[in-house]
Amino acid sequence: MSVAVVEGWVEEPLRQFVEDARVLLALLLQPSGQVLAQHGFSRSVDVMSACALAAAIHASSAELGRQLDGRPFAVLHHAGRSRQIFLAPVQTTRGALVCLAVFDAVTSLGLVQLYFAELQARLAKAAAAAAPDAKGPVLAGNFEFELNRNLAVLFGRG
Amino acid sequence: MSLVNYATREITCKIVYYGPGRSGKTTNLHYIYGQVPQERKGKMVSLATQTDRTLFFDFLPLDLGTISGFTTKFQLYTVPGQVYYQTTRKLVLQGADGVVFVADSQRRQLEENVESFQDLHANLAEHGVDARAVPLVLQYNKQDLPRDLIVGADELEDTLNFRGVPHFAADALHGPGVFETLRGISELVLKRLSAPSTAAAGAGAGGR
Repeated sequence: MSVAVVEGWVEEPLRQFVEDARVLLALLLQPSGQVLAQHGFSRSVDVMSACALAAAIHASSAELGRQLDGRPFAVLHHAGRSRQIFLAPVQTTRGALVCLAVFDAVTSLGLVQLYFAELQARLAKAAAAAAPDAKGPVLAGNFEFELNRNLAVLFGRG
Repeated sequence: MSLVNYATREITCKIVYYGPGRSGKTTNLHYIYGQVPQERKGKMVSLATQTDRTLFFDFLPLDLGTISGFTTKFQLYTVPGQVYYQTTRKLVLQGADGVVFVADSQRRQLEENVESFQDLHANLAEHGVDARAVPLVLQYNKQDLPRDLIVGADELEDTLNFRGVPHFAADALHGPGVFETLRGISELVLKRLSAPSTAAAGAGAGGR
């Protein structure tokens, strides 16, 4: 069961969710669209596009809920012909996340919902136990040289 | 705050191109998309109307290569410029690490530029973000149009650039200024990651 993560604390909860709920694809992302963990995607760029779209769907449906009903729609489910999408927010002490799961007839919406509840609980527990974010500079002070060189190459000016 | 993965040594930053309708935000992304080699970019996603006006956003993932030992990826977004897409603009702006404000240099668009710039600040404030702290550059687009139709960069500076942020004259359709603008915002965004007070962000920034 392969799960790629940006932050270690989300790995085990997502791996367990994928295994239990038997989903084809799974994403954990920030509401701004940045990926934290994924299962089932083959190219990192596809993950980024999926995250951007999932964040947009989540944000727009939540806003629609607020405008119609005074509060956001929490969970979104879309049933396609062979695949289904489940999209839902997760609150943790390390901030809000969004979970996207894609599944087929091997499992069911009920099972995905059931194991999503467990994922929420596991993430809450893992967030509380996770080490705080690292402090201090990430990049060297003279990063501009590498940035300029890389951008020049990117635009065929190298 | 940019997302930093220490395990795989990757940085991901979200850059939003903001500005009034038809100022050239999507054109900037199309130009970048056309210049960058296939292996360094992802699919460009455009949620547009039937007449190719941006409905929700355009999205272009870029791989900038290795900087200070970190694989650096930028996610470029545009917002829909028309006034009535206020809500979607605010949604796309969420979590932005840097903003490029694309102003339309046409004289008749001056008021729209000012309104859109005010809208940007209002939306940042609604996200609880201090606009003065967000990396921002201005792009004065369409400077290739006939002189009698446009406002010069100096006048746009007086009107819009009260923060004194970097600015770039551009012709996004043909390319001049697009690269310089991207370089300008990249420098500002990455500079924050080289500052001593940097807190590498993980999920903690997710609620922004």
